[in-house]
Amino acid sequence: MTQLIFFILVGLLLIASVFLMMARRGRKAEGGAQALVDARHALSALQLDLLPSELVGRILAMRDSEYIRAETSPRIQEMFRRERKRIALSWVRQVRGQILSLRRFHLGAARSYAQLSFRTEIGLALDFAALLFACRVLQVMLYLRGPYAVPRMVEATASAATRLCSVSEKSLAFLKPAHPGSYLDHSAGAA
Amino acid sequence: MLSATIWWAGIFLEVAILFRGFQGKFLSKYSFFYAYCMCVLCAWVPGYFLFASGSPLYGNWYWVAQFISLIVGYGILLEIFKHVLSPYPGAEKVARITGLVVFAVIFCSALIYPLLAPQGSGSGTMVEFERDLRTVQAVFIFAIMAVISYYRIPIGRNMRGMVLGYGLYIGTSLVSLAVRSYADAPFTEVWRIVQPVSYDFSSLIWLVALWSFHPNPAPESAIKLEGDYERLVTRVRRTLGTMRTYFVGTVRP
Repeated sequence: MTQLIFFILVGLLLIASVFLMMARRGRKAEGGAQALVDARHALSALQLDLLPSELVGRILAMRDSEYIRAETSPRIQEMFRRERKRIALSWVRQVRGQILSLRRFHLGAARSYAQLSFRTEIGLALDFAALLFACRVLQVMLYLRGPYAVPRMVEATASAATRLCSVSEKSLAFLKPAHPGSYLDHSAGAA
Repeated sequence: MLSATIWWAGIFLEVAILFRGFQGKFLSKYSFFYAYCMCVLCAWVPGYFLFASGSPLYGNWYWVAQFISLIVGYGILLEIFKHVLSPYPGAEKVARITGLVVFAVIFCSALIYPLLAPQGSGSGTMVEFERDLRTVQAVFIFAIMAVISYYRIPIGRNMRGMVLGYGLYIGTSLVSLAVRSYADAPFTEVWRIVQPVSYDFSSLIWLVALWSFHPNPAPESAIKLEGDYERLVTRVRRTLGTMRTYFVGTVRP
């Protein structure tokens, strides 16, 4: 009976995956200049817009909450809490989107590179998956327990964001094409 | 009557697929696939007459034909490598190594399983043998599709149809063979219909998808990085590591 279930599952899984694959329509080939610009944009967005400690600290600042709690009615407090939660969720969603963009760039570049390392690719795939999973966990926690449910958030964010900024700065080098010209700078300036 | 209709529909579809390939002059573009179609056609025509005449040779003919078509069917996987993966050497390498790993795992399982299995379960029938071989094929297709999907490699109309048709046929065959090897008698009549119908359906998909030649989309010009792959990986990994620390620190209360 176990055998029967196993083989039926393999068969059904194959049929389902074939249909899923057919459903992924409209994906244009990546790996060209657009991917380069997107990756640069993703890193810039993470570095300048999403991860600065001031921003994250401001989104999740307890002082604001304490002030609202002390000075306003319960209805206003609830409205404030709802808004903060919405902003925090939107922030995590955007961080996740930029990580996905970075992954797209990596896959677009790696798939054409004959000398890639299989082990490294598997490791990176797991890293990306873990990070994206962490984003999901954060989203669920924020959704269920509200924006102030993770006490160390601001502190951890500030230090990690500083580290990420310096690493991202160096990472930008790998986004420069062989014949740089002014394309990237121009694109980044326009973005 | 129903069986005859299914047989003739299959033969007609196979002929039509080959005719369109010949007429459109793209038989040589997908040589492995058309060799498979030709092989199936060569098995079906005499098979039908043996079946219709109630010849005792039909049973033997069926299993020999199934085994040959199963082996030639691997040509479709080669077509996927040739047309979908070969323009992307990195993804092709990952698919090739994944295939080898899958083969090694299956080979080791085949060696170890008889030692661990309860006595008496080693006496496999032809149905079980075909089921096992189809499972290997299914796992290979699944692995290749996973790589194609992960690297977001675009697939053209021809290859899309080829993968869809063959994947459906293998999946349906596997389910039928699993049920048949578990309880043959009650499903004999159903079995006679299900597998040929699923093959007819796959042939119909192939006929539509391969009505005309649509080459797989060529990759856009690859990004020319200043550094090499190692540099790319090191920096992406460092960025990821930092971000992971960030999120772990964030989530931990």
